[in-house]
Amino acid sequence: MIFITLLLAAFIAVIRTVNVHQEEHIGSKVKQFLDIPVTNADDRFQRALLEDAMDIFYPDQTEKNDTIVQEILSIKDDQFNEQLQKSHEKRRLSFKAFIEISLMYVKFLVIYIIVMLLTYYGVQTIASWRFIREKYAEHTHIHFPDKSLKHKITFSKSVKSFIKTLFYLVFFSPAYVIAYSIRTEFNTDSVFFMIFLAVVSNGLLITYTNKFRAFLISESRKGYIDTARVKNLNEQFTISDKGITPGALLSPVKNFKGHLFNHIFKNAHFQYLSTLKEQASFLITGLIIIEMALNIHGYLNYEMLRQILYKNYELVVLIAAYIFYTVKFTEIFTDYLMYREMKKYENR
Amino acid sequence: MKTGNNSFLSSVFFEKDKRWLFIWVTALCTVGIWDVLFLNKPALGKVVTGFVNTFVIAALVVSFTLLIGWGLTIALHFLSRKKNKTGYIILTFFLNILRSIPQIVGVLFTYIAIAALITSGKATSGILIFPIMAVCMSLFIVNELVDLMRDRIDHFMKLDFYNAMRVCGIKESRIINFDILWKNSRIHIFNKLIAVFGSAIFLQCSVDFIISVGLSSEVNAVTLPVTLGSLLAKIDSKQDILAIGNTLTNPMYFPNLFFSHLLGVTVAFLIVFSLVCIYHISNGYAERHRL
Amino acid sequence: MSIHHFNIKVATPQRTIVAIDDFPLYDNHITFLFGESGIGKSLLSKALYGLLDTSDLTVTVNDKPYCDHLNSRWACDIRNNSFFVFQEPSSHLNPLMKISEQLNEGSLENIDDTEIMEYLWQHSTDSTLNTIREVYPKPYRPSGGEKQRILIAMAFKKLTAFMENRDADASSFFVFDEPTGSLDNRYRNLFLNLLFSKFCKRQFSAVIITHDYSIISEIYNSYRNLVPFVHFKELSRIDECKVSVDDFSADDYLNWLNKSQWTDPPVSQTADNRVLEVAPEFSIFSRNLCIYKDEARTVKAPLIINKGSVVYLKAPSGIGKTTLAKIVMGIYKSDSFKMNLCGRSYNEKSHESLWHKEIWGKKAGMVFQHADESLNLQATVKETFDALKERMTVDLNTQLNLLFKQNIIDLIINKKVAYLSGGQKQRLNLLRTFALNTQLLILDEPLNGLDFVNVKKVLDLLNKLRLGGTALLMISHNEEIFETLIDKNNIFYLSEK
Repeated sequence: MIFITLLLAAFIAVIRTVNVHQEEHIGSKVKQFLDIPVTNADDRFQRALLEDAMDIFYPDQTEKNDTIVQEILSIKDDQFNEQLQKSHEKRRLSFKAFIEISLMYVKFLVIYIIVMLLTYYGVQTIASWRFIREKYAEHTHIHFPDKSLKHKITFSKSVKSFIKTLFYLVFFSPAYVIAYSIRTEFNTDSVFFMIFLAVVSNGLLITYTNKFRAFLISESRKGYIDTARVKNLNEQFTISDKGITPGALLSPVKNFKGHLFNHIFKNAHFQYLSTLKEQASFLITGLIIIEMALNIHGYLNYEMLRQILYKNYELVVLIAAYIFYTVKFTEIFTDYLMYREMKKYENR
Repeated sequence: MKTGNNSFLSSVFFEKDKRWLFIWVTALCTVGIWDVLFLNKPALGKVVTGFVNTFVIAALVVSFTLLIGWGLTIALHFLSRKKNKTGYIILTFFLNILRSIPQIVGVLFTYIAIAALITSGKATSGILIFPIMAVCMSLFIVNELVDLMRDRIDHFMKLDFYNAMRVCGIKESRIINFDILWKNSRIHIFNKLIAVFGSAIFLQCSVDFIISVGLSSEVNAVTLPVTLGSLLAKIDSKQDILAIGNTLTNPMYFPNLFFSHLLGVTVAFLIVFSLVCIYHISNGYAERHRL
Repeated sequence: MSIHHFNIKVATPQRTIVAIDDFPLYDNHITFLFGESGIGKSLLSKALYGLLDTSDLTVTVNDKPYCDHLNSRWACDIRNNSFFVFQEPSSHLNPLMKISEQLNEGSLENIDDTEIMEYLWQHSTDSTLNTIREVYPKPYRPSGGEKQRILIAMAFKKLTAFMENRDADASSFFVFDEPTGSLDNRYRNLFLNLLFSKFCKRQFSAVIITHDYSIISEIYNSYRNLVPFVHFKELSRIDECKVSVDDFSADDYLNWLNKSQWTDPPVSQTADNRVLEVAPEFSIFSRNLCIYKDEARTVKAPLIINKGSVVYLKAPSGIGKTTLAKIVMGIYKSDSFKMNLCGRSYNEKSHESLWHKEIWGKKAGMVFQHADESLNLQATVKETFDALKERMTVDLNTQLNLLFKQNIIDLIINKKVAYLSGGQKQRLNLLRTFALNTQLLILDEPLNGLDFVNVKKVLDLLNKLRLGGTALLMISHNEEIFETLIDKNNIFYLSEK
């Protein structure tokens, strides 16, 4: 991390130096000519007039005159574009800019942590709920096949599948599709909407719910589950007082003592911890897409996009550094969590 | 209980991955026919171009990810076995840097760089741009595949499998490439590549959308190929997407989505439905092979 | 004596996995069930117990759907009263729960296990038992043998609860699947003693699935009075999926054992005839180990194997027999070690590349313990030998004919290894290494998973190799068989210093 910080700082220094040299370069060569009233750089007549004028005033340096004319026209073009983009400003990494961007970063971080916690809870709860339902259906199919609907095609099953597909379409939609779909009806610039989008869209919640469910299924097939079964642990996969209580399922810290699911969940949760890094990276990607695509002013990633457009690369490097630190700190935190768990379970 | 009948139709019905592949292809054909009937020709041309470009680039990303990933995995494995670990440290450091850059940011910056090269005349826009874009995207996705392959190699190295073959005098390169990666991991690799395909479409569409919306003065469709993402960012498509929201409060407007707002709705549907289907195909494949 | 007869069939949509017309269960008797690994002993027992996952399987019991069997009174009773000790202890304990928690949950909750645990741990110190309870099960701690004893302790807790059940007609069906696989003879005898002492207090139905034929000798020597309550059965294959339960003649085994003996050919003890010599002391993973000539572990001696001789290395479970084998084969790097193999010296400083160039597949070969882990399960039988073509001196068919009948070879040659039975995999595992024709063969549990017929075939083949000049190093928990076959002078003992 230190190396990257130094590298980025060096980047900023290089950019600054290059900018200074460019300005000086412009200053030294063509500054004296910048007051010439060229209104349209693309106009061939104005261009030819300027070339002839330069050749008259500075004969015997035709090639140099051509170069100066090209530079003048290029600078004039840039100035013209700058005027069009009214809010454009050439900005350096000043203390004020640093504070502004840092505040945006804090906002980004708060939203990131909230979304991470919501998805962490949502993934485990939804996946557990799905798994319990499927286990119940399987149990009914094994013990009471006449009552089981497992392989029956019914109208209600088809309707449920259709509604499920619609939900999938929403959950998998890229954020900008959902946001633009409902922009006229809702305020899509609010923080709450951003958090909602980050959790629900881009396939984040559904992908990791499915991963967690896959962990639950894979753990449920392991040998120690058979040992737990022959110890007559509660095998009722229903969300009720006789099976798994709603409180236990919805609790942020889940514990299913006395139930077979306790074994399955504990091990799946342990495996899930190792995927947090990947989930965080996916989440950050999603937040970046949301902020950039929805053009929400005052947010870190949209600010990065703007500064790329205005070629204020010092600010771009700073924002990139902040994103890099977010990723890195998440990795360090996850590694620490894993280390703590491993230490416990390895009897150290 | 499953029946013993192994006919094609029953395998399509009962096997989730094949079922969703069938649904996807059918839906694409249906949408295609509907657009041919009700979408104007220029718009249809754009949709077809965007669709083809998106999927060609995604397919190229999958190919390059596999090639680069396999190469990196083998390189990392053999470098880690050497006494002098310098090569291993350098390569790992480079991969960790790539891992720390959010994929969207990395792909965005490389696309901007490619567009700048084209604009300045140092690179030509044309068919060659596809593999260049694909390689750039692969660099930010390849870590997932490398991690999977290295996990598989580590898993088998812990078992007697690896040592038993070594002591029979079988070459290590054969054990790694053929026995572990090809014979015992190709299903896992293929499943990961399906997910990579989905990621490539998602990233591409998102980056193109962002570029088209935020950087349209610097980077535009002239420099980079038209994809579904850049199509969605066009004013026409945005209007069509806004109409979906209008339908929430005005349900009677719903049929108009399939006629008056067909361009945007088609593009949005193609992106979203493809992502959903790829997700289900990947899950179904994993369930079928008990991954 | 009442006998339950079960007709069981387990199938997937594509094929039948196993089917049996008559699986007899002797009420309130103990049945020892032998048979080749992978033939279906565990699967049939699980089917009866009600443990099979039928989301992908079709199971019928007595020609009725599985749900009828699961809901039957007998099946409900046995699930309440009985226990199933599974085969691989490592994977049957939850790595994220302490041993004490796992010993005291569900129906084991209010049953005191102090007596049982102290009995099963009687050769260990008190502190070991206390530590064991508070650890999380990890790969090396507790050891395989300890994990096995923990599962056995759970079964005996349930048995204790059954004994306190006042219902005299209560059904029971205790299954012990390879309960002594990770135990040496000392702990195996403790298990048998505890089992039979409980049986004497109250009879119960039990099936013990095992490959340990030496149990027969132990029962006839120590529990002769209970022989009328004990049945020896063998599950054997009729065709690809159909099996049958036949009587296993204990006398056949005991007679064979009494007649078996390998004598070393007369060779001079010169250095030319010495294939392997390992210095007595070595260390690895911060442990100092030593090889002894005597059972009392007083006389240190180098491990010497000459041409055409067989050496048996004995040690309790977890001491380091397999570790020594892996050091000799260059798989593990030791802290200090010296050996001479085929006239060349090697020690802890020797580079791995030396083994690669000089030893692997040339001077020495090793058969690893678990065929499932040693073979490439996704390769076909033919592909397993493809990489060895250059080194094989005979063609594949001839090699396979050493341990397989021709009709079986025709069936399996293009079959994936994953679809072979456990016994077939073990034979393939052996043949792969034999095909290399090395001067030294290290065999780690070569008789794993084999039925009696194939045990005899493999031992005959090993004898032929030995007589042909190959030096053999044997590591096995089948102590009775190898102590009978091998001369006492060729038995070495491994222990921590």
